[in-house]
Amino acid sequence: MRHLRWLLVPIIVVPLALLLLSGFGRDPREIASPLIGQPAPTWTFTTLDGDTLSTDELAGRPYLVNFWASWCIPACVDEHPVLASAFERHGDELTVVGVLYQDSPADAEAFLARYGDAGYGHLIDESGRLAIDYGVTGPPETFFVDADGIVRARQWGPLTDALVDERLASIGIGR
Amino acid sequence: MIPSIGHASILVGLGLTVYAAAAYLLAARGGDPRLAVSGRRAVIGSFVAVAIGCFAMVISLVSHDFSVRYVAENNASTTPPFISAISLWAALEGSILFWALLATGWASLVLHRYRDRYRQLMPWVGATLATVNAFFFAVMTWPGNPFALTSPVAAQGSGPNALLQNHPFMALHPPLLYLGYTGLAVPFAFGIAALATKRLDEEWLRIVRRWTLIPWTFLTLGIVAGAWWSYEVLGWGGYWAWDPVENAALLPWLTATAFVHSAMVAERRGGLKIWTSALVIATFVLTLVGTFLTRSGVVASVHSFTQSAIGPWFLAGILVALVGSLTLLVWRLPELIGGGRPSGTVSRESAFMLNNVLFLGLTFAVLFGTLLPLFIAATSGDTISVGAPWFNTVTVPIFVALLFLMGVGPALPWGTASWGTTRERFTVPLVLAVLAVAAALGVGLRDASSLVTMGLAVFVGGIMVDEVMRGARVRARTRGEDPATATWRLATRNRRRYGGYAVHLGVLVMAVSVAISSGLASDRTVTLAPGETSTIGAYEIRHDRLVVEPLASDERVIETRAEVTYSGPQNGSLGTALRDYPNSPTAIATPAVRTSLAEDLYVTLLASDTATGTVTLHLFVNPLVVWIWIGGAIVGVAAVFAIWPERKARSVTVEQPQRAPSVTSVEGA
Repeated sequence: MRHLRWLLVPIIVVPLALLLLSGFGRDPREIASPLIGQPAPTWTFTTLDGDTLSTDELAGRPYLVNFWASWCIPACVDEHPVLASAFERHGDELTVVGVLYQDSPADAEAFLARYGDAGYGHLIDESGRLAIDYGVTGPPETFFVDADGIVRARQWGPLTDALVDERLASIGIGR
Repeated sequence: MIPSIGHASILVGLGLTVYAAAAYLLAARGGDPRLAVSGRRAVIGSFVAVAIGCFAMVISLVSHDFSVRYVAENNASTTPPFISAISLWAALEGSILFWALLATGWASLVLHRYRDRYRQLMPWVGATLATVNAFFFAVMTWPGNPFALTSPVAAQGSGPNALLQNHPFMALHPPLLYLGYTGLAVPFAFGIAALATKRLDEEWLRIVRRWTLIPWTFLTLGIVAGAWWSYEVLGWGGYWAWDPVENAALLPWLTATAFVHSAMVAERRGGLKIWTSALVIATFVLTLVGTFLTRSGVVASVHSFTQSAIGPWFLAGILVALVGSLTLLVWRLPELIGGGRPSGTVSRESAFMLNNVLFLGLTFAVLFGTLLPLFIAATSGDTISVGAPWFNTVTVPIFVALLFLMGVGPALPWGTASWGTTRERFTVPLVLAVLAVAAALGVGLRDASSLVTMGLAVFVGGIMVDEVMRGARVRARTRGEDPATATWRLATRNRRRYGGYAVHLGVLVMAVSVAISSGLASDRTVTLAPGETSTIGAYEIRHDRLVVEPLASDERVIETRAEVTYSGPQNGSLGTALRDYPNSPTAIATPAVRTSLAEDLYVTLLASDTATGTVTLHLFVNPLVVWIWIGGAIVGVAAVFAIWPERKARSVTVEQPQRAPSVTSVEGA
């Protein structure tokens, strides 16, 4: 009987530990995107290089849309080489589209000059319309659209090499 | 150079605290007493080290040194110096640095003050505090290095969190809260020392009384300042939303408040030893749990700005603290049982006991509501949130019961109460309370909990005034003093008791203003073109014009402002705005609040059309809100009064002057 009192310690500690532990690896602020399984928004924009790009040109081709900003430090800086590498590896079958999120073209160009320009286009979404269409909560946020123009996956927060491969597989790339 | 100095100071601090913990532990186990002396010096050294670290961080922030990752994430070259400096506690790593400064500060203060006293307890106190501080230094050394560098160096930083640059209160609220949090490690350390040394009598309780009340006061003021900040900044017209971070601050406050009360019984009558030890442990662990919950990103909150690797470290720290202290407690359980003198069913002791049960009930309710989303997510994967209505439903009745006890408890005698004295003391306040409720009904108050709160407040206030007047009257008669002098002297001769009453008075003011402001508040949403008017309560509001312009202090911030003229009980004009910060996805509201003693006029801009100048405004009239802050200030001042050292009197302190005619002869000696 006298030793039973020692049970008090695990009775209090173990459930609390399990409960708090269960919170890791999950972000409570992440809300599932209603766009998954839906047709992607259509658009036509001027890019940072002065070209025009529209969803019509992307028809029949999988693409990813990455919302980023030069002021988004460190997440966008960390993510930058991941996207560059994905573009390099899959550029022949995948289009990568960057979108400036509440950012000036000059600042974005300075960012690319500093951290390296992989060569894919960046849309100047001055009014923020595209970000609203996609329901972006904050950069970096990335949407993966398959060859049929359907949104298949979304990444909330910075991509890593493992994450980008997993998301790309959902739009039929790298399998 | 500066970041390297900062980083080095953290490493030095880690070395010193680890050494101090070891030295104190050896001293506690019967080693050379000089070990305790060197342990104390090491703790003070760690304080100096972390002070240098904080200074290095402030310099890095003010000079916009973006090679430091923390600076790049929380500062921009346009950030004004003052905002830069207080960004020390704007995000996680800097907060821990600041936390360590305060924690080592408290430890140095306590260990220095009692350097020649309590030779059995102090080595354990030192070992506990040094271990806790070593944990924070370890966090800063490994997962949360505030001086981590970035490469290549960014040309421009993100800028501070938009919410934090919006109001000067950010300079006040976190330091107050952290002073409370960190200070509560001191009673915990004494509790551990008492358990470890088996010195479980009233000695440690007598020492920690003040060392609990001081951090308790800071925590109280920190919570009130946080509520005030949220009212002035967040723009939804309220001050308390049961957000996890608010709960995180409230939880240790509840157990600390319970401890302050139960310690009085334990100190005076013996007994309650398990209870008080458990409370002091729970309070400390809850300060860690609260920080973990809100800062690790495990629970959604306005404060979970970043996810980081610090979470697992904090969890490990919490578990070590919990397992360590519970093991010690269970080990000493046989020594802790019994020892109290018996008392009657209706007595001050039983009022205190009930108070503790209620505070613990509140703690469980708040903890349950805060952790439930986590539990549901873990078991079923669903995302839920527990909202304010649930918390209000569960906690308001307990708060009301506590209010009742607040009046009844101090009026009951220690030991056993007789029916005669009870009736004599409660009749007049009860009649007054009934009259007050009738008057409130007459004015038009219909909300049940507001009415109950009003009635109770009058009841409790009546008992308190009666208590003070009885004491003062005896003094005035026997000493020939005028009533004011008699009251002041009575209070200053027994600061603990009358300071406690004054704290209760502040709580009463807050309770009534919370009840009335939530029961009688009115609000409406209106859309107005320039020149159009609308009304809210007795006010007429006219929308004059819409202005969109960059902020004078930081031109990257664009302000959309509705300029409004109002007339009624208060007259004047105001500007209510939405601010677009470059690093914030949503516009930050800057509500306009016009405060008077009777009511606040509170105007938030919800939406605007720049083409036509039409705006949608949320108008609130919130009665008596300013009294919540005034009540908070009363609590703060009263707590300082209670803590203030009593004059080294030649007299013996007497608890119940009115029933001890011999007082005069003793005090007048």
